[in-house]
Amino acid sequence: MGPGSLSGRRVHAPLLSFANVGKHRCEGERKTVVLESVSFELQAGSALGIYGQRRSGKSTLLRLAVGLELPDGGSVRFEGRGLESMSGGERARLLRGPIALLTADGWLPSPGETVMDHVAMSAGSAGLSLREARRRALAALDCVGVAGASAEEMTVSLAPDTRARVMLARALVREPRLLAVDEPAPLPALLERERFCALLREVARERSIALLVASEELSALQGIASLASLSAGELCSTEDQGTVVEFPRRRAGAVEGQ
Amino acid sequence: MVGVAEGKAGTAKWIRGRSAHLRGALLGLVLERPSHGGELANRLAMRLGETWRIDSNDVYRLLQNLLDEGLIEVREEPRRDKRLGTRIVYHPTELTSAALTRWIETLLPRETFRLGLHAKLAVAREQDVPGLRLALAQHRRECLTLATMMCPGDGEPGSWGALFMDCTRDGIHQMLQTELDWVNRTLRRIDEYADRVA
Repeated sequence: MGPGSLSGRRVHAPLLSFANVGKHRCEGERKTVVLESVSFELQAGSALGIYGQRRSGKSTLLRLAVGLELPDGGSVRFEGRGLESMSGGERARLLRGPIALLTADGWLPSPGETVMDHVAMSAGSAGLSLREARRRALAALDCVGVAGASAEEMTVSLAPDTRARVMLARALVREPRLLAVDEPAPLPALLERERFCALLREVARERSIALLVASEELSALQGIASLASLSAGELCSTEDQGTVVEFPRRRAGAVEGQ
Repeated sequence: MVGVAEGKAGTAKWIRGRSAHLRGALLGLVLERPSHGGELANRLAMRLGETWRIDSNDVYRLLQNLLDEGLIEVREEPRRDKRLGTRIVYHPTELTSAALTRWIETLLPRETFRLGLHAKLAVAREQDVPGLRLALAQHRRECLTLATMMCPGDGEPGSWGALFMDCTRDGIHQMLQTELDWVNRTLRRIDEYADRVA
């Protein structure tokens, strides 16, 4: 049974695929292109790093990948299914299960809440019993190196380094197959940042989670086997075999909020 | 220490020019262990990595430069299998160590790998623009590929080798990021220019 046959294709479908994905935003009269014909595939358990400067469209690409936004052109597929053909509820369920998004502004601690509660709550909202949620939270916290006494600390008073780890644990607890990370290390110190990036790679490798990491720092993407550069809505990857030369091209300036 | 290498090495012609890094590195390798030319070429390529694109023919030329300066010497030594005769082995001289010190202390000329692209950009005609875009995109891909090759965790922690790898990786990431930003901005400038003149 070759990979070209129907059942073969099912087996070989990439975890996530972008096919000619375009996205624009309208600001009054002006239409600005954020992403232009972006295509790539991410296999289960593999990793892709996306390097781009501020406002290059990284965050939009990640939001499209996790189904928080839908493309204006082309198709985004998760495990072979087009996200644009799913209902809002289905996409929301994906984000509570097989897909996790990690962003710096996703940190919403509640007063009086411990690290353990915070992480277990994330599992609980995926429909698990409290006992099972706590068991998984403990395992996830252990995995990111926030075990024992740290698990009983209050979330409102965490150091940036621990906070980043707890956010990772919160994403891991739902046992995702795709982990999208927008700016993996908003940590101030270089060494802390390197350690966190290394942890991210290690955890993804151990648990066979596919990683999609976007950063404006190339050093935050070190150790990722495949890299792409995003500029003016155009994605260029190490995987590309050749470049199609098109000239002249017409485009509006890329505009994107981080 | 700088004044120690007198005589021919004192003129320090070898320390300037395009291949000064390779000549300096070769001195270091000969000091580490005398070797024949092919072995030196291999050791140089292994040590510096494939991005240097080291060609063994170039290595022989560089060794000749160093011989002319009196910084290394050759000895004819029997091969392991005596029937195969002798081979030329490069050894350090009394000047080598001081010359290496001097090279390490020398300020580096400012250079980046975009020099070639810069030259192409300077003289490109309108019909060259598609080719120029291609060259820039290839350079971008090469930068990304190099970045993926810079994997952390080589060498034993705490060893000089690990320190060397950390510094190398750090420097290369910084440089590649600057290169990528420059290429992306240049492509965008070219696109915007094309839109204006079209």
